[in-house]
Amino acid sequence: MFLIRVFLVSLFAYLFFGYLCIPFTIQGISMEPTYPNGGVNFCWRLRYFFSEPKRHDVVAVRFAGSQVMLLKRVVAREGEQVEFRAGRLYVDGKEIEEPYVRFPCNWNLPSRRVEKDCVYVVGDNRSMPIDSHHFGQTSKIRIKGVPLW
Amino acid sequence: MVKIKYLLAGVLFVIIGIVLAATVFPSEEKRVKKRFHLLSEWVSKSPEENPFTMLQKMKDIGTLFFEPCELKAPNESLSGSYTRQEISAYAGSVRSHFSQLGLKFYDLHIAFPQKEVAKVTLTARLIGKSKTGEQADEIRELECLLKKIDKKWFLSQIEVIEVLKK
Repeated sequence: MFLIRVFLVSLFAYLFFGYLCIPFTIQGISMEPTYPNGGVNFCWRLRYFFSEPKRHDVVAVRFAGSQVMLLKRVVAREGEQVEFRAGRLYVDGKEIEEPYVRFPCNWNLPSRRVEKDCVYVVGDNRSMPIDSHHFGQTSKIRIKGVPLW
Repeated sequence: MVKIKYLLAGVLFVIIGIVLAATVFPSEEKRVKKRFHLLSEWVSKSPEENPFTMLQKMKDIGTLFFEPCELKAPNESLSGSYTRQEISAYAGSVRSHFSQLGLKFYDLHIAFPQKEVAKVTLTARLIGKSKTGEQADEIRELECLLKKIDKKWFLSQIEVIEVLKK
């Protein structure tokens, strides 16, 4: 009986932490100060099961699998025009308030339309030159989930 | 009691047999993974690496590639067809800029679309410290094609998949 209980708990833990709530450590400064380098969190997979990513949501974007992911913030959705002017974000020509961006930014990026079934993601830390920061539009299929906190 | 003993011994023999067979005759998937493991080992560099090891690794890296090997990289000037020598020379020049370098592969998905051809999708992460002390951390999703020649797998095409498009 004890062994069965151990087996069931192990199976539940494997499925829960392996597929639904994946633990991860944050490596890098691209989401600072919201998510500092070295922090620990969980990627909640069911967040977009019945809904779509919205502007300002923080999402985990996968590469080939879930072992390495990018933590980014959604700033624009499909069909919207996104651009940066002197470090300010503009979507469809309107300036977007971003209280989570705390470091100075001087980015300039010409306007571009977010393609179908894609979202535009950027990190909160834009203090580095625009070429050194990984951001841009990505397919919604690549969004693996959201951080739990 | 005697029967159980024989049964256990039989099960043990079967397990040992399976483990031995898997070790002696690795599956094609394992052989492909081994090539990436070697690439990771040979590209990686420790601060104490001596010039002889460096030269040997440079030479070894080239042996993992088919001739010519095609590289497709969107928005990067590296796209083109390369010989083994060119790959070894390029790897050597990149390695020489770093005092410490680590290449790791994650999430390898291996498929065999044709006979003697393997298609591998993976995440590659290159972490390094340049000789001037700058940190490098690059992550890319790659789609690789490998060809099998004389029971060995060689990288014949590497395509960088664009995950974020500015």
